[in-house]
Amino acid sequence: MESLGINYRAIGPELVLAMTGVLVMLLEAFSPGKKERDGAIAAAGVVLAGMAALTLWDEGPATAFSRMILVDGFRVFFTLVVLLGTLLAIFISWPFVGEERIPPGEYFALLLFGAVGMTLLVAGNDLIVLFLALETITIATYVLAGYRREDVRSTESALKYFILGAFSSAFLVYGIALVYGATRTTNLTEMARALSGPLGQAETALMMAGAAMLLIGFGFKATTVPFHVWTPDVYEGAPTPVTAFLSTAPKAAGFAAFLRVFSLTFAPLGIESAADRLASHWVAAVTAMSILSMTFGNFIAIAQTNIKRMLAYSSIAHAGYVLIGVLARDWAAVAFYMLVYTIMNLGCFAIVALWARRGDERVLIADYAGLGFRQPMLSFPLAIFLVSLAGFPGTAGFVAKFWLFKSAWGAGFPELVIIGVLNTVVSVYYYLYVVIVMFFREPKEDVPRVPLSRAFVATMVVALVGVFYLGLLPTRVFALLNAAQNLLAIGAR
Amino acid sequence: MRGHVLSWLTFAPTAGALLLLLARVLMGAREEMIRRLALAFSLVPLGLCVLLLLRFDPAASGPQLVERAPWIRFFGFNVDYFVGVDGLSLWFVVLSAVLTTVSILASWRAIERHVLEFHIFLLLLETGLIGVFVALDMFLFFIFWEVMLVPMYFLIGIWGYERRIYAAVKFIIYTMVGSALMLAAIISLYYLNGGTTFDIPAIAENVRAGRLVLDPATERWLFWGFALAFLIKVPLFPFHTWLPDAHVEAPTAGSVILAGVLLKMGGYGLLRFNLPLFPNATEEFAGLLCTLAVLSIIYGALVSMVQPDLKKLIAYSSVSHMGFVVLGIMARTEMGMQGAIFQMLSHGIATGALFIIVGILSERRHTRLIAAFGGLARPMPVFSALFGIVALASVALPALSGFVGEFLVLVGTYTSDLAHARMYTVLAATAMILSAAYMLWMLERVLFGEITHEENRHLPDVNWRERLALLPMAVLVIVMGVLPNPILRRTDRAVLEVKAATQGAILVRSAPSDGRVPELVRHVSESR
Repeated sequence: MESLGINYRAIGPELVLAMTGVLVMLLEAFSPGKKERDGAIAAAGVVLAGMAALTLWDEGPATAFSRMILVDGFRVFFTLVVLLGTLLAIFISWPFVGEERIPPGEYFALLLFGAVGMTLLVAGNDLIVLFLALETITIATYVLAGYRREDVRSTESALKYFILGAFSSAFLVYGIALVYGATRTTNLTEMARALSGPLGQAETALMMAGAAMLLIGFGFKATTVPFHVWTPDVYEGAPTPVTAFLSTAPKAAGFAAFLRVFSLTFAPLGIESAADRLASHWVAAVTAMSILSMTFGNFIAIAQTNIKRMLAYSSIAHAGYVLIGVLARDWAAVAFYMLVYTIMNLGCFAIVALWARRGDERVLIADYAGLGFRQPMLSFPLAIFLVSLAGFPGTAGFVAKFWLFKSAWGAGFPELVIIGVLNTVVSVYYYLYVVIVMFFREPKEDVPRVPLSRAFVATMVVALVGVFYLGLLPTRVFALLNAAQNLLAIGAR
Repeated sequence: MRGHVLSWLTFAPTAGALLLLLARVLMGAREEMIRRLALAFSLVPLGLCVLLLLRFDPAASGPQLVERAPWIRFFGFNVDYFVGVDGLSLWFVVLSAVLTTVSILASWRAIERHVLEFHIFLLLLETGLIGVFVALDMFLFFIFWEVMLVPMYFLIGIWGYERRIYAAVKFIIYTMVGSALMLAAIISLYYLNGGTTFDIPAIAENVRAGRLVLDPATERWLFWGFALAFLIKVPLFPFHTWLPDAHVEAPTAGSVILAGVLLKMGGYGLLRFNLPLFPNATEEFAGLLCTLAVLSIIYGALVSMVQPDLKKLIAYSSVSHMGFVVLGIMARTEMGMQGAIFQMLSHGIATGALFIIVGILSERRHTRLIAAFGGLARPMPVFSALFGIVALASVALPALSGFVGEFLVLVGTYTSDLAHARMYTVLAATAMILSAAYMLWMLERVLFGEITHEENRHLPDVNWRERLALLPMAVLVIVMGVLPNPILRRTDRAVLEVKAATQGAILVRSAPSDGRVPELVRHVSESR
């Protein structure tokens, strides 16, 4: 029996986030309604958590808490992506919390608790931990999605999210149980070991069924077709800052778990083993999911008139691209993609949230008519983020896609690459449609300019610098990921 | 500065665009000031082009004025900032710089809305154009190739005519389809070459020396991956349908750059990528592409003949003229390829000038219909003279630039060892008659005869600014027609190398059995 391995530094980021959340909540109880203070504390907590994560960089690869928590470059990088997403979401929420008269402490605490779940999901090395983390995320985000209680859309969104979320969690638990039955462990390291040899007939059947359930569960969380149906409604109905958060940080964390379990634990070894038999099945299934997500996401996005729904379908399409990276088993490419996606998508949503104003009044694409030259501080950044989402060179979106496609080609998935690049062309159509409306059409009526808050400007600066820095000079981040590549706690084979 | 002419040339327009923005934000520069500043900034690359021409050594082999620095380094993801010019790209760089300046002059009165943004986009576009021609790293090439679409999209979409949105979307989607497949081909080629470099000359050298041998099926796929992007850009029939829309709806400056430079990227790409990298597939599909080229030539000319709209007529004539380019390239003879390059330059200038001329007419009369004009020679004599010169250059009247290009292409095709080479030549030559027919008929209806519309009687002739834009172009088409050698001398070396590369690699792979071997060997050894 090995030691329990209690090491609080290993969960430093989670601890900081959780304590900040509790602090913000308590402050709300004693002196309510101080938006600036609570927001600043939440942001500071996120930054602190980021620093705590950075101190773990040189620690790994190691495990803690009976090998339930991993400390390695993979975890640190994804944690940072999640925290960046959370930080930007806090900034985006700033004006929203004031306008909607939401108790700020409560709202920011929920964001932080959600972030705890996400960072834990990234760090987990045990299916039980992954499940707990997922539930932490979903409970926090159920509440966030239904924040505008008096609005039918928001309520519908929360309810749908809750029911389908619970449904997918059930799949996940069931899958965990079956996989446990097959390998007699929930620990991923142990599981990889068990799978490296042959399994008995019954165990193989259990393993296949369990892995399929896990795939469905993760498929729901990562918004991939055919498990995507909840996404557009939830993204549309949730308050825009919440949608911004939902579409980025939890997704990055979800893909991290997806990678840990499928690409790294269930990875084929190239020898006669259970893992290889399993891999031949999940690779086929994920290939289908990837193609479907890209194609459906992009084609349905074309028909959308609501910008939030359009971005929801776009996020489904992006999940399809990311699955290519999962298939290529290049986690660094996925991590980079999620970083880039988080930045550009949050940049987009920051503008959408600002333009939507109170109660999501202006969320139709047609509402953007004539924004172009009327308020260039909004329209040009939005155009840049959309162009980056479409993957135009010179922006981060291109580098991220290029890396994914390049890995996939090298890993032997040329057909996915070709489908992927053709899908990018389709996506150009709807991303640039917004640009058309903004710049090429005249406004219907005289719309007053929207005041720009300081938090908004900060978001824009971070996102724009990110889009161009990662698009033009990605070498340094690449080097970081390269270093992390050698620090994998499991699956480094 | 000394060692970085190309970088300065490429990024001077970007710097100009930023300075324009600063001039507005910090100094509140007004419209007229912005125009003047933009013109001044566009003169910088033009001046650097002179330096470029002085430094360029026509006798040297391979890229010159090379600049190379590591850019993105990761897992064999070795992207270099690698630029240089050779005979293939030299003149296109110059052409881009010339046409940008001319476009700014031509837009002086035509652009009244969002003047600042217009000039910013135009200057950014220039960076993209020059970048495409100087990039020698596939990744870098692709970046410029795509980046250039964005400003063009805005130019068409914001400052275009009525159906501008449709045209802008069609333009971008067509081009993106081609370039997406090119991206897949680039990635694939990168792996096939060992997954270490995107360096175009190095890969071409590997192909030539037989170190990179592609199996025929892969080579075909890659050939089409690149060729489709370039053929859409050229555009070759049947990929040409975006062109009339984009040309007609774009503002004058947009049309000038589109016809003048963007289309040339297609021909340049074929010469830079397809011929040296995939010689066997080129050999295989040359007949098909020549057939399509001849179809383009005839189809473009026939459709031009029935256009009531001046701009559309010129747009379709571009399809026809660019068909000669593909024909010349695919003939793969020295004369053919030289002619193709020359034809691209000549077309760039003559058609650019024609679009400016149409722009001048439509500014004055707000219509582009041929039927709305007639007898313009009387009120606008200078205009008519200039119009006549560039139109005749476009129909390849001897002693004007178009003739040199088309003549070289025809001779090059005739003497090539393509199957049915003579038939292609004869058919293409017939189309020259057609082109004379539609262009002269159009000139007659616009310039000569009685003045049919009263409002044309007092149209003002070209002013000094319009003359400044048009005169150099009229002079150029004459000079190029009479003295083509300064241009041809500088492209010769590179063309011979492309030719040697195509034929050398075929030799390495398998010697043809029909007795052509000795001749091929001679070509290869000549060029070394």
